[in-house]
Amino acid sequence: MGHKVRIQELPGIGKRYDAEAGAPGQRVSVVVRGNGIRDLYVFTSDSPDPDAVLELTEEQALRIGAILSGTFFTS
Amino acid sequence: MPHNELLVFGALMLTAGLLARFGRRVGLPTVPFFMAAGVLLGPGTPGPVLIEDPESLHLLAVLGLVLLLFQLGVEFPVKQVLSSGRRLFTAAACYIGLNIGAGLAFGFLLGWGTGEALVVGGALGISSSAIAIKILIELRRLTNAETPVILGIIVIEDLFLAFYLALIQPVLSDASSPTDLVVQIITGFGFLALLFVLARFGARLIGAVINSREDELLTILMVGLVALVAGLSEELGVSEAIGALMIGLVVSRTSVRERVERLVLPLRDAFAAAFFVYFGLGINVADLPAVAVPALLAVVMTVVTNLTAGVIAGRLHGFNQRATANIGLTVLGRGEFSLILVTLALGAGLDPRLGPFVALYVLVLAVLSPLMASGSRYLARVLPDSLLVSNWRYVREETIGTSCSHLDQVVVTEPDGRECAECARVGATWVHLRLCTACGTVACCDDSVNKHAGAHFRESGHPIVQSIEPGEDWRYCYVDAMLVREPAGGGREPERG
Repeated sequence: MGHKVRIQELPGIGKRYDAEAGAPGQRVSVVVRGNGIRDLYVFTSDSPDPDAVLELTEEQALRIGAILSGTFFTS
Repeated sequence: MPHNELLVFGALMLTAGLLARFGRRVGLPTVPFFMAAGVLLGPGTPGPVLIEDPESLHLLAVLGLVLLLFQLGVEFPVKQVLSSGRRLFTAAACYIGLNIGAGLAFGFLLGWGTGEALVVGGALGISSSAIAIKILIELRRLTNAETPVILGIIVIEDLFLAFYLALIQPVLSDASSPTDLVVQIITGFGFLALLFVLARFGARLIGAVINSREDELLTILMVGLVALVAGLSEELGVSEAIGALMIGLVVSRTSVRERVERLVLPLRDAFAAAFFVYFGLGINVADLPAVAVPALLAVVMTVVTNLTAGVIAGRLHGFNQRATANIGLTVLGRGEFSLILVTLALGAGLDPRLGPFVALYVLVLAVLSPLMASGSRYLARVLPDSLLVSNWRYVREETIGTSCSHLDQVVVTEPDGRECAECARVGATWVHLRLCTACGTVACCDDSVNKHAGAHFRESGHPIVQSIEPGEDWRYCYVDAMLVREPAGGGREPERG
């Protein structure tokens, strides 16, 4: 387990990953479901309600992940 | 009325699917809509009758029931249940105890008979995992602090379902004499014991029988095995439901588990829908008014017991009003298990009023539960502090702070040794000893000179330590900087001993 990422099992659904993102209270939570769908929760304040939630298919998630990790680019 | 079986089946499934899709648009669960399609198009309702004799769907429906339970067995998270904390177990036990207890009481008050009461107890007491999970996803609550607790309760409830099915088995068997019954119970338990042994020791053998590198063959072998074991159970007087569940558990221990999980899903979805439609076909609308009052009372009772159980779970976990309201109102839906229980009961010749009663109950709750879950904040506003205050602490980041999220990493609870190995190596002494619950390392506390337990956390990232001093049983999470369980006497500041 990475130092800044928390992992939590969600029985019956999948796994939840929390990562801090910049300012206090800002974080991204990703839930990877058993069927491959990723739920992306974005929190930008201390409010317990997420500011945005995206439901990504495995393919969409992989593409976005590739962009974020810098391995996907075109000239 | 058309006579072509294919035409009838197609029309039924399409209607069920379209109705359910309409329901999904407004956030309602699917199962009641499949059932409603059956009710609307069945022989018991005025209007178009697609199918005069529902029995022609019987085999498909039974396959649906069997696959539902098989899939439950395959996916059953045994490890997660065993490693869930004592608090979660207590919360789940309260939830199950309250709901089943109230359900049983309600069943006996109905006065339909003892067997009927047991079935009603299970049908009102066991919630629908599918409905609760869909609610959590749709209301965007997957990352809430209370969500792991809700999921934990559901999982433990699934385990309980297996026990309950076995428990009420004598009621569901169609024995004619007491001797018959005894013989059935003995053969039944013998068969169950055999399946247990198979699950324990024979998983490799079963894996070898059905394993194939080709998905096509694995699917066919899997369906064959499930149907065979379920049918065999039925022959031996154990219900096909238990047989399917048990063989699912066996398969979950084989190397093909993950592929079976994936392959069984579409099959289960199609056949389970056929099962729900079939259940609906057997319901006569004219029977509904007679059971309307009890069904509505049962709905009210379920809401009350769920809220009570939610408050207990919230109190145990130190949650705030909002999380507590969410727990109570999310696990409200009833669906597949209630219908399965009643189908088994009707098959055993119990009181036919069970059918319309549970059908109406499931329908009303299906509409009510998503509405109530999404409106949980109104309940949160009126929940008094005094209900939850036992060990409630204000934590700023309530979604991640109020409950430690690392309990799943507790693996070791018994220390191998009673000395700090690092200290012993350099000949130093220590004050108190802590056990790393992730890897079992025993190290000295932060009051000791060398503070090896803290150093171990910084090196390894293992979050939770447990005191192994005599008479102490608390755990401390370094990452969340909180006591995971209050020490005896409670309410102290986290102690980094």
